[in-house]
Amino acid sequence: MTVSPLLGQPLLSEEDHARSRDRSRVHHARFHGKRGRLLWLLVGPGILAMLGENDGPSMIAYASDGAEYGIGFFVPLIPCLFLMSFVVQEMCMRIGAVTHRGYGELVLQRYGRLWGWFGAGDLCLTNLITLIAEFVAIRVGLAYFHLGAGVAVALGLVLVLFTLSGGRYWRWERTVLGIALFNGLFLLAAILVKPDLGTIASSLSFQPFPHGSLNTLLLLLASTIGATVTPWMIFFQQSASADKGMTPKDVRHGRYDTGLGAVLAATFGIGALIAGAALLHQGSGIQGFAGAGFPAALSHVAGGAVGTVFALGLIEAGAVAILTISASTAYAAGECVGVSHSFNASPRGAAVFYGANVGVALIAAAVILIPGAPLLSIALNANVLATVLLPVSLVFVLMLANDRTLMGRWANRRSTNAFGIVVIVFVSICGAAYGIDSFLQTVHLIDGP
Amino acid sequence: MSEEDDELFMHLERDQLVAETARPVPPARLGPRALIGLWGLRVFAILVSAMVLYTFLARLH
Repeated sequence: MTVSPLLGQPLLSEEDHARSRDRSRVHHARFHGKRGRLLWLLVGPGILAMLGENDGPSMIAYASDGAEYGIGFFVPLIPCLFLMSFVVQEMCMRIGAVTHRGYGELVLQRYGRLWGWFGAGDLCLTNLITLIAEFVAIRVGLAYFHLGAGVAVALGLVLVLFTLSGGRYWRWERTVLGIALFNGLFLLAAILVKPDLGTIASSLSFQPFPHGSLNTLLLLLASTIGATVTPWMIFFQQSASADKGMTPKDVRHGRYDTGLGAVLAATFGIGALIAGAALLHQGSGIQGFAGAGFPAALSHVAGGAVGTVFALGLIEAGAVAILTISASTAYAAGECVGVSHSFNASPRGAAVFYGANVGVALIAAAVILIPGAPLLSIALNANVLATVLLPVSLVFVLMLANDRTLMGRWANRRSTNAFGIVVIVFVSICGAAYGIDSFLQTVHLIDGP
Repeated sequence: MSEEDDELFMHLERDQLVAETARPVPPARLGPRALIGLWGLRVFAILVSAMVLYTFLARLH
């Protein structure tokens, strides 16, 4: 650490040095009016949060929706849910850029240790379950190429270690962004199944409404919401925005980044839905498709190229989510313990951060190697549990974004608050309705489907 | 501090330096209604999570 003669206090750590180099490029691009370069330098956290959430379970859920119900209703629903996600993630980006602090540390410091640790506990539980589901998705993708669970575990862990090896946020972000762009494989799969454009256009009227029991519809809704907004995204984007060194001057570009991520994620999600719809009326249920392997089923019905592209897409979706979800766990751990939590810090200087990043991936990897573990059930329930726990995180995001002591003139407008409250109520009702209905069926207080 | 350090230092806002972000922000003062609302939210999350986990485990068997 060095002493600044400008402010007369010890300030510059290795983390500051790394961040200031990134910021100097932003200043240079802004000063010289290089708009394209400025956008290139400032995109990252938003796209990664959105494409990270287009993860293995989410893409399997979209494809299952298509296979079970067709594309009607879901084609317009997915953009609506990503609009909801944009509103939430924009708040997280803004809070991170203005306060330069992560979600976990702000909740802990502003609202007390109980609330902070509760949020971190929520996150660790849902992240661990989701990470297991990501390894399952990679395994399903690799199974198409006749490769087993051991390869899935090795691939996931090698990627985590490789991306952490650079010691810089910028390097980590660009590496993961490069992998995340292959989420576009789901769009390619949709094109390869040669969908009827008239059917896609007519589905924009939310018709036909999915059939089935109330519980099935609630599960569908809860898992689709869980595929677009989750607690890890909230932790990740706020912390990553702060780690990237974003400031209030960058909020406009942060919105572009988040909006671009939402558009890409919705497009690729619809791609998975349309590809899955090729299996409509093929006589196998959601469990059957996911268990036997969507890629193999698609290959049988729509051709080998579709199966191969979908399998590669699943591997990518699982891999990117492992990287971003492990990172969100690491940010939360470092913030709640109150120690260094940055990709710009060295492993020795941020042992908790790096340890949590690798540790949570290791635990999830170990679970999928357990013989007979109920991996499919875990994968299908991961999004539902995330939806149930989401309202807690959303309420605190809204409170932080309205906290004028922290946010000053960057605090929420009324319109943002109104939309935020609608999102919280909608998510709470969907999660609670599914949880209560399923529970009452399980204990035989009401009749099942 | 070298000249290069000085230049790099200028590219960071003062409140984003590690030394500054390491200082905790003051706790918020919440009114009784906000506290009751937060507790209600916690109870809601715990109850519904327990129901989902119970259902998940019961269906495994």
